[in-house]
Amino acid sequence: MPPKQVKGEYIETDTGNKVSRKSNILGSQNIILGGKTIIQADCTIRGDLRRAGAPGQHGNVAIAVGRYCFFARSSVLKPPGKTHRGAFSFYPMKLGDHVFIGEGAVVEAAMVGNFVHIGAGAVIGKFAIIKDCVRIEEGTVVAPHTVIPPFSRVAGRPGVVVEELPETAQESLELKQLYRVI
Amino acid sequence: MNAPVYPSIFIACPCSDNVGQKAPTRSRTSNDEIDPEEEGQAFNPRAPRSTFSLFPLENLLFCEDCNQVRCPRCVLEEIVCYFCPSCLFEVPSSTVKSEGNRCTRNCFSCPICFAALSVTATGEEQTGPFILLCSHCLWSSQDIGIDFEKPTSITTQLAQKLKAANASSAASLTAPSPDSLSAARPLSPLGAGGTYLRPPSPSALPPDQTDEAEFGRLKAHYNQQKALASGDDYGGSGSLSRLMGLYSSNSGRLRSYGSGALRETVTARNKSEWRELEQLRTVEDEEDVIEKMKNAGFHGTTSQTQRIVQTHSPRLLDELRPLAALLRTKRSKRCRSCRHILVKPESKVGSIRHRIRLVAGSYIPQISISRLDHTAVNYNNLQPGSTHQFLLTVTNPLYDPINITLATPEKTPGQYPATVYILCPEFEVGATTDVWDEALGPEAKANPKVAKGKGKKTGLHATIWDSGRNWTTVVLEIVPPLLPEDVELGDDDHIVKVPILVRSVYEADIEREDTIGKEGREKKEHSYWSVLEVGRIAKKRGADEEGVRPMSIMSTTSSTAADETSGPRDRSLR
Ligand SMILES: [Zn+2]
Ligand SMILES: [Zn+2]
Ligand SMILES: [Zn+2]
Ligand SMILES: [Zn+2]
Repeated sequence: MPPKQVKGEYIETDTGNKVSRKSNILGSQNIILGGKTIIQADCTIRGDLRRAGAPGQHGNVAIAVGRYCFFARSSVLKPPGKTHRGAFSFYPMKLGDHVFIGEGAVVEAAMVGNFVHIGAGAVIGKFAIIKDCVRIEEGTVVAPHTVIPPFSRVAGRPGVVVEELPETAQESLELKQLYRVI
Repeated sequence: MNAPVYPSIFIACPCSDNVGQKAPTRSRTSNDEIDPEEEGQAFNPRAPRSTFSLFPLENLLFCEDCNQVRCPRCVLEEIVCYFCPSCLFEVPSSTVKSEGNRCTRNCFSCPICFAALSVTATGEEQTGPFILLCSHCLWSSQDIGIDFEKPTSITTQLAQKLKAANASSAASLTAPSPDSLSAARPLSPLGAGGTYLRPPSPSALPPDQTDEAEFGRLKAHYNQQKALASGDDYGGSGSLSRLMGLYSSNSGRLRSYGSGALRETVTARNKSEWRELEQLRTVEDEEDVIEKMKNAGFHGTTSQTQRIVQTHSPRLLDELRPLAALLRTKRSKRCRSCRHILVKPESKVGSIRHRIRLVAGSYIPQISISRLDHTAVNYNNLQPGSTHQFLLTVTNPLYDPINITLATPEKTPGQYPATVYILCPEFEVGATTDVWDEALGPEAKANPKVAKGKGKKTGLHATIWDSGRNWTTVVLEIVPPLLPEDVELGDDDHIVKVPILVRSVYEADIEREDTIGKEGREKKEHSYWSVLEVGRIAKKRGADEEGVRPMSIMSTTSSTAADETSGPRDRSLR
């Protein structure tokens, strides 16, 4: 898939995350990476946008990411925010395992499940919920607050479910192999 | 939607006899020896019906008892559960029967752009009234004059709103329908109707009124039919009342209603009844429609896609209604010929796990294709007449080593055949080892059974290119055909499609019911036809601009390719 990187481009963490030196990660103390996740150059991850007010027991995490995720070049992860009872606040964003985010995609979902492929240039609206085994095609625009059920292929602007994925979706969306290549 | 990706590989499901083949060789059981040479006929990927039997490996299941792949066409599906794709609540099948196949909670999609609608407060401090708002195109239920007092039970509220709107307009209207009906039957915003007939002047009626009025009219019509038929010797009255009972009763149970007696009755009558039906069919008052469309303008009218998903097929945007979410299902799948269960998902809506899942990928060898030289071959621009080298990799999903025999016709089927040559058509592929070996990484890769140095990447005849624990790679050579310039070609002719018969033979432990002793091994085999869609043949200079060709010779970059091809052209003409 992506070409071999120049040596030293990635910083590898104890849990095997590979984070590009050229990525733009804000508020890293509010970001949890599950391990073996790859963050490519020019990615923007807005961990600084965390819940307003009380930094309680769970108040500190802005973005939680599972294992074997892949954030391609120039993709953007931003926690969703809204005004509730007169006060604007951001809400945490949770990503499962084996989540692929394509080049230049912008994700503001509240939750992304396991084995999810988000194609290049796609836009996932605020507070969207994407369940397990979902493929979102390139350039799709998923409207805010949309819920995508498991085993769905989503395409279009706005993104709608266009097809049911076969039983083998989990294997085809797995990213272990991709991690080994980088 | 998406442009075809090359190369891609499809597998032929043999469920439909002799698709793409002239001889019905498929009637043989898989235990018989199938010699491709003897068989004579290769699978023809260009046969019109082949499209319906070719699937990517991911879409195929496998029946152990039949020793055969199963495609979506040769499985039987059984619904495990119904659920709403938006709120992800399971819907009991009894509710589906009584309420229909749409979500009865708060799940609606935009009638304009089909994105999900969300319940949004319009008042200060998150108070009502509430509206259904599309966050993609900003359509809201207020655009059709509907808002809600509370943010829950939207379906019920919407039904009441529409009913109220109907009642008020019906009161101010000389309703053309038997009025007793229009108020009596509870209205469903989910569209129980679904017929496209309209009463003469429904323009002033709200959408649901048209359904109601129409129901009344039809019922009156059939009542009249019944009355007329009762004195008849055709005996149609019984079936008519059964038919009417079918729709007026709430049970929804389908009962058989005799053998087309209704038609006989209608034809037996004179034309008076038909006249009434025709009257029903006259769609609105034209003057009225024209006037309304003139006022709304082109942008105020519905598109075809917007119209067909609405039950009352509205003409204007302000007649649209929010669409309740269609339910989805989880289904189990059975083999159509032996009824064994192949797929059984867990019934929990959010779960992606399966109790049973027999997918073809874990039974049959998988083939994949790549370029030997990345710079020499462009999948979307194959040069006619020159030899392209590809690597064909066969991967074994089984825990036993397999012997593979690949067979392909020297000339691919079709009017403009490509020449295909597999350097090493017979070879062994090692067994898939335990998941633990895989987890231990490449160090544990060494498998004593696969002799080291077997694949020296020599590209010599009858030697494999490379091999690993459970895969073997061989070289495949393809010479794309030279396409004639003066003939109108179909798009399909530009694509190189190579049929390959993949036959695997292996020894496996005999499966025993008691599972105690593993006595003896048995020989097993499986074969399937696959189709490699390798790529597109390059367009030669001026291929689609006959007249201006002399000018374009200078500017074209592919002229060298055309020169190279002069040799093979002679050969093919020979
Ligand atoms: Zn089939
Ligand atoms: Zn729902
Ligand atoms: Zn919309
Ligand atoms: Zn079977």
